[in-house]
Amino acid sequence: MSDRILGAACLLAGAGMAWAAHDYAAPISYEPVGPRAFPLLLAALMALAGGWLIARPGPQGFGLGREHYRSIGLAMAAVFAYAALFETLGFPLATAVMALPIGMAFGGSWKQSLAAGVAMGLALYLMFDKLLDVVLPTGLLSFVLGGR
Amino acid sequence: METLHFLLGGFAVALSPANLMVAATGAFIGTIVGMLPGLGPINGVAILMPLAFALKLPPETALILLAAVYMGCEYGGRISSILLNVPGDAGAIMTALDGHPMAKKGLAGVALSISAWSSFVGSLIATIGIVLFAPLLARWALAFGPAEYFALMCFAFACITGLMGDAPVKAALAAMIGLSLSTVGLDSNSGVYRFTGGNVHLSDGIQFIVVVIGVFSVSEILLMLEQHHSSSGLIQVSGRKLFNLKELALTWPGTLRSAVVGFVVGVLPGAGATIASAMTYSMEKRMAGPDGHFGDGDIRGVTAPEAANNASAAGSFVPMLTLGVPGSGTTAVMVGALSLYNITPGPALFTQNPALVWGLIASLFIANVMLLVINIPMVGVFTKVLRLPNWTLVPGILAVSAVGVYSVHATTFDLMLMSGLGVAGYLLRKQGMPMAPLILGFVLGDLMEQNLRRALSITNGELGILVESPISIGLWIGAAAMVIVPPLMRLRAHRKVAAAAA
Repeated sequence: MSDRILGAACLLAGAGMAWAAHDYAAPISYEPVGPRAFPLLLAALMALAGGWLIARPGPQGFGLGREHYRSIGLAMAAVFAYAALFETLGFPLATAVMALPIGMAFGGSWKQSLAAGVAMGLALYLMFDKLLDVVLPTGLLSFVLGGR
Repeated sequence: METLHFLLGGFAVALSPANLMVAATGAFIGTIVGMLPGLGPINGVAILMPLAFALKLPPETALILLAAVYMGCEYGGRISSILLNVPGDAGAIMTALDGHPMAKKGLAGVALSISAWSSFVGSLIATIGIVLFAPLLARWALAFGPAEYFALMCFAFACITGLMGDAPVKAALAAMIGLSLSTVGLDSNSGVYRFTGGNVHLSDGIQFIVVVIGVFSVSEILLMLEQHHSSSGLIQVSGRKLFNLKELALTWPGTLRSAVVGFVVGVLPGAGATIASAMTYSMEKRMAGPDGHFGDGDIRGVTAPEAANNASAAGSFVPMLTLGVPGSGTTAVMVGALSLYNITPGPALFTQNPALVWGLIASLFIANVMLLVINIPMVGVFTKVLRLPNWTLVPGILAVSAVGVYSVHATTFDLMLMSGLGVAGYLLRKQGMPMAPLILGFVLGDLMEQNLRRALSITNGELGILVESPISIGLWIGAAAMVIVPPLMRLRAHRKVAAAAA
C-alpha cells in the first residue's frame, strides 16, 4: 500500500461522508448552523488531504514485512475471533482459545501458550469478576462459575 | 496565598488512604508499562482508563491513577534504554545513547540511580511550575468565549500536526478521522442521527474507550509482532548501585536546565517528551564542549533527557487542566476519561471542582516521591519483568483490554468495533500516520463543533465573529505559524545539508 492508495481511500471516505451527510437537516431549527455543516466541512478537508497525498505521495512505501504476513493475519483473525466468542464461550475459555494463536505468533510453543492462556483466563476472571466486581461473561462455563 | 490554601486542600485529598494506595499502584504499573518496549504512557493510560471506570473509582481517584501511570511510564522507559539499549517508550530514546554505554562499562547501577534522581528533579520542578502558572492561565482563560475556544482548538491541532515531524498532511488527516468519528451518533442540538447506518449500538456515538483501546492497544499488539525484542541482551546490574556526590555535582546544573526546558516544551500543545529530551540532549552536548564524551557513556547524557521527559509529561497537564484542550495524546485520553464522568476540564474546573484539580496536582508530588523510592532500590524487581516472555505478556494485554471495553456496555458489538478499529489503526500506523492527532480529534470533536455552532449562533451565521477578538486573532496567527514555520525550517535544514554535501 502506498500513499496514493491511502489518499484514494480518504477521497472516497470524504465523498461517502458528504453523500451520507448531505440531507441531514433539523426538523425544527433553532440555530443558523445545523447538524450538516460540520460533517461536510470535515468531509471536504479529508478529501482535500487525500487529494494532496495522491498528488504528492511520500517516498516510503508500505513497510509491511512479507515474512510477517502469516503471523499478522493469524493475529488479526484471533483478535476478531476473541471479540466474537467473548460472550458465547465466556471470558475464561475465550481467553484460553485466544492465547494459543497469539502466544504462538509471539514465539511460544503451543503447550506454553495454551497453559498461559488457561491460567490467565482463570486468574483474570477471578480477579476482575470476583475480587474487583467487574462483571464478565462465563458463557459455556456458567454451570461451574455461575453468572451467564 | 490563595494557591497555597488550595494546594493544602489538594494534599488533604491526595493523602487519603485510598488515593495514596491508588497512586502507589499507578506508579508501580506505570514503571512496568513504560519499561516494556512497545508500550508507552498512552497505551498504559488507555488500558487502565476503562478499568478505573469499571471499578467505579471516583473521578479524582481515577485521575490520580492515570497521572501516576503517566509519570511512572516516564520513569520506566529509562530502564530498558539503559539495560537493553531498546527505549521503553518514545521519551527515553535519547537516554539509550549514553545510558547503554554506561551499563556496558559496568556502571548500570549508577546510570539507573542518577537517571531516577534526575527524573525526580524534572517532575518536581515541573509540578511546581504547574502550581505557579496553571491558576494564572485558568483565570485568563475564563474570558474565552466560544469563538476563542474554536480558535484555541484549531491552534492545538496546528501544533500537533506542525510539530509531529515529517508527515504533516498525514497528521492532519488523522485529526480529520478523529473528528469525523466523534460526529457519529445523535446530534444533541437537532435530534438527527448521524452516520449510524440505523445501528442501535451507534446511536449514542462510538464509545471513547473503544476507540482508545482499538487504536492504542490492539494495533500496538499487531505492531509488536514485527518488532520482537528478546531479553537476551539484558545487562546484569552489578557493582555500585548509587551515584556519588561528584557525579551529582557534575550533572546538577544540566538537570535543572533540562527540567525547565522540558516543562516549557511540555506546556506547548503537540510538543511532548520526545522533543523535549532530544532538545535538551543536544543542548547539554553543545554546552559540555570538547570535555564531554557524549554517545560514549557521558553521565550528563543520561540525566538531561530524563529530567526533560519527566518535566514535559508533568507540563502537559497545564493546557489540559487550564484550557480543557489537551496538548498530547496521553492527556487527551485523560480528558476522555473525565468525560466518562461528565466532567469537562477547562478553566471553570479550578473554581467548580478544586478538589479534583488540586488533588491531582498534590498527588503528582506524592507519586513523584513514591516513584523515586521504588525506582532506586527496587530496580531488580523491574528487570525481572523485562524477562517475562512476550507469549504470556501479549495475550494478557489483549485480555485486559477486552475486559475494559466490555465493562462499559457489555456488548459484543463494542468488542468487534474495537477489533475493527485496531486493524484500521494498525494499517494507518504502518502508513506513517500518527495516532495522537486522531485521539485528540476524537476527544475535541464534540466540543469543537458545539463551540463553532454557538459562536455562529451569536451572530446568526456571520463568520466574522471567529476573528473578532484579539485573543482569537492571536491564536489564528499562532496556528498559521505552527503550520508554516516547521516545514520551512526543515526545508532550510535540507538545503544546508545539500549545500554542505555539494
